[in-house]
Amino acid sequence: MKTVGLDTLGEVFGEIVEQMAFMFVEAIEEGDEAVPAPSECLIAHLKFGGEFSGKLSIAVPTEMCAELAANMLGEEADDPDAIAKGTDALKELLNVLCGNLLTAFAGEDPVFDLGVPESLPFSPEDWEALKASPVTVPYIVDEYPVLLHINFGDDG
Amino acid sequence: MNILIVDDSSTVRAVIKRTLGIAGVPTDDVQQAANGQEGIEALQNNPIDIVFTDINMPVMGGVEMIERIRADDALRAVPIVVVSTEGSATRIAELQALGVQGYLRKPFTPEAIRRVVDDLAEVSNENSRA
Repeated sequence: MKTVGLDTLGEVFGEIVEQMAFMFVEAIEEGDEAVPAPSECLIAHLKFGGEFSGKLSIAVPTEMCAELAANMLGEEADDPDAIAKGTDALKELLNVLCGNLLTAFAGEDPVFDLGVPESLPFSPEDWEALKASPVTVPYIVDEYPVLLHINFGDDG
Repeated sequence: MNILIVDDSSTVRAVIKRTLGIAGVPTDDVQQAANGQEGIEALQNNPIDIVFTDINMPVMGGVEMIERIRADDALRAVPIVVVSTEGSATRIAELQALGVQGYLRKPFTPEAIRRVVDDLAEVSNENSRA
């Protein structure tokens, strides 16, 4: 289940990021240490419940958020509006990813309740700890390192 | 076309407006609201041809807003499109039972949003002819 789940996670993540932000996702092979922790990062969490419950998290370099917002809004990454909306764009990406991932996991019959995405600053030490988790998958999105982490269960 | 976009995220509202523009739908008269309560107020104060709304919002969510619109004689005819990340067929059927005419699942393309607008315009024209 874990392998199937994580493969699905990567496939859905790639499709969503490309459709929403015109950015491209590459998986990082296990044991690849070439991607250092960003000096400034953010993490966003979203809890879900229903057929099964849990929490999906995404950690990204802070500078990626403005690029995400810029691509979603058709602006330049240094546009003050894109910079202001960067965190909101990350939370929306997580929201869309979670909804589509749950359908990919469970099919179109079950109803899931999604919470409200929350974002927090994240230290490089937190990044390394999250990266070491067996349910974290690292990716490269354009040139940015990204971590996706999924926990199933009520304490997710 | 007078459009109302209801979503608690200003980023999502901007994305929907931009996508409507790319799809060739005039966006000069787009109204925006951050929750269901503001959405109802916007409907009461402006002529609106179509509502695009989220479901999960603070203050008043999309389902309560839709129920109130459908219970209001002055507002009940306005077409409503739910824009959501959820893909559950059960949830979509529940929304249709509430009187929602369209469902747009995120992420959506300009072609998908155009199709929804065109379908609603066709229904509206048929109703006017009837």
